Amino acid sequence: MPFFNVIKWIVWKDILCEMRNRENIASIFFFALNVILIFSFSFAMDRDVTQAIIPGLIWVSFGFASMLGLGKSFLSETYNDCLSYLQMAPVPKGAIYLGKLLGNLLVMVVVELFLVPLFIIFFNLNILDKLLPFLLILIFATLGICAVGTLFSALTVQTRAREVLFPLLLLPLEAPVFISAIEATAGAFRGDPIALYQHWIELLMIFDLVFIIVSYWMFEFILDA
Amino acid sequence: MMTLRGMKLTHLYRYHKVLSEVSLELGPGECFALFGPNGAGKTTLIKILSTLLQPTHGSIEIMGKNSREHRMEARRFLFLIGHGTFHYDDLTVLENLEFAMALRGITPSYSALMGVLDRVGIGPFALQKSRYLSTGMQKRLALAKALLAKPNLLLLDEPYVSLDEKGMKMMNDCIREFLSKGTSVLMSSHDRAKASEVSNRAGILQNKGLREVPLGELTNALF
Amino acid sequence: MHRLIKILRRFEGGVGVLAFIFIALGLYGGLIASPPDYYQGEVVRIMYIHVPFAKGALLAYTTLFIGSVFYLWKRDPVVDNFCHAAAGIGVFMTAVALLTGSIWAKPTWNTWWTWDPRLVSFAILLLILIGYLMLRTLVEDKQKEAVYGAVLAIIGFVDLPIVYFSVEWWRSLHQPMSISTRGVSIAPGMLTPLLLMSIGISFLFTYMVMIRTQMLYLRHLLGAKRGGLISEVDLS
Repeated sequence: MPFFNVIKWIVWKDILCEMRNRENIASIFFFALNVILIFSFSFAMDRDVTQAIIPGLIWVSFGFASMLGLGKSFLSETYNDCLSYLQMAPVPKGAIYLGKLLGNLLVMVVVELFLVPLFIIFFNLNILDKLLPFLLILIFATLGICAVGTLFSALTVQTRAREVLFPLLLLPLEAPVFISAIEATAGAFRGDPIALYQHWIELLMIFDLVFIIVSYWMFEFILDA
Repeated sequence: MMTLRGMKLTHLYRYHKVLSEVSLELGPGECFALFGPNGAGKTTLIKILSTLLQPTHGSIEIMGKNSREHRMEARRFLFLIGHGTFHYDDLTVLENLEFAMALRGITPSYSALMGVLDRVGIGPFALQKSRYLSTGMQKRLALAKALLAKPNLLLLDEPYVSLDEKGMKMMNDCIREFLSKGTSVLMSSHDRAKASEVSNRAGILQNKGLREVPLGELTNALF
Repeated sequence: MHRLIKILRRFEGGVGVLAFIFIALGLYGGLIASPPDYYQGEVVRIMYIHVPFAKGALLAYTTLFIGSVFYLWKRDPVVDNFCHAAAGIGVFMTAVALLTGSIWAKPTWNTWWTWDPRLVSFAILLLILIGYLMLRTLVEDKQKEAVYGAVLAIIGFVDLPIVYFSVEWWRSLHQPMSISTRGVSIAPGMLTPLLLMSIGISFLFTYMVMIRTQMLYLRHLLGAKRGGLISEVDLS
């Protein structure tokens, strides 16, 4: 089906470019690593305090990483006017959005999966048996960040102050994602039964659904402005 | 059926008029050369004809499809070689070609891809990242994309820029090949000599309007 | 002259006068004639500013959304000016609402800020509106500026209820229900000035948007005239 072909090719192109020009993924990873290190210096290794704030720390560092990484996702399209070719392509523009979304999701999840062991090591976390629910939260929350982030990347990438504008626009709108992710993660790490925090995961899923649909629809307007 | 019909195209940039009621029709196998002073609006007109820009008033039909109502179908018929090359720096020449065609729903075989790369003279560079190509070679890659896309309407915004003598000859040979297969070509250029070799119609964009001029009177009209 | 601009010019005077009358009556009623609150005393009078401005902020946000949808549909440049104006006035109203809310909170709840869903939603609304204005300033292509702004406004509008609910859930987990913004029981003598002020501020918002829309329209016309010495300006 041509629709899914487009998505496949866009993901292929983005992953290939990302692998060859590793500056993006490397900068996200090392930036987040820096944040983790600074956090680990700042908070004395009081175990109770650490356990209480660790969900917040994790999502703050993932949030910073995504500000860096997502903002640049359309940067490669601005060189050589590739964006115009995407605009002229006789394909549904929503497919391009979904392709970009998937590519961004893959990159962000890979970075986050590399960071999780570092959190476990630096903060002495005892969560190996709770990784499965955490993974679920990670994917839904990252999807929520990427859904709006991909759209806003297209909005801000051609502006003069894109590094400032992108987080300024995105962060307020992502507040529900961060609140839900932190609460759900806290529940998961405490070992609560999933019924206690599943409504946060449901909120994440609703957010994802609503914003993928709205962004899919709005993307056409951005590309064909 | 006319390949291209631009009807009373008026474009306002905010409230500032850039084009005023420009009309143009192109049939199959016709090549129209667009001349005009800098800043006259040639690139704006080509952007409008390639559906990158929506005109404030007026409409365009490509192969009978209105560009506002049937935008995707209209875009299937056209191809633009513009100022930007549309190449991805980190992809190789071959990969760029594959991707560009995939977005048009075409999946050529390896031999077809290499064939067209040889035709434009960059076959040996097939596995080079396009970042390392010179401007002229990048233009040839753009031409390769057009050859594979087989459009009904080919739009060229200053096609001879950055091509060497051999390259310009190759461009004109390719244009003749397109014309013989029934493609309509519209090009904007400052190179009267090269453009006149392949065009059968010409016009000057000046003072927001388009004035068609017989090829023989082109020199007088431009000065 | 543009059709919409004609309508704005015809009615702006009337709207302005109505705004003045309602606000004057409301302020008199609120600051002088109405009784002080049984628990809060004179401090409650700030409610007559805070609540109407908060309503004005929500009016701005809804107007921006509807205008943006209409713009994406019809692409009328004056509608775009209207959206831009609504966002600017919205920033003003939201900022006043937040500021007066904070000033009201300190003597009544002994805190400048609390994680109440309405306060957080208003803070995020302020950020969305400021982001909207910044985006429009920073986008270089003037044609795209309007569309990008409209898209941002629509996404922001869809998001705000979700923000509200998520903070509501979070608050119900972490904070006891002792503090509530719904805590002010309205005595009858307070209702009338509050209503008058709310209507008055709504008229004020409308008046300010009408003026500002025309200002933006004229600014663009001026830019067009200046931009091309030989350009014709199309006023259809």
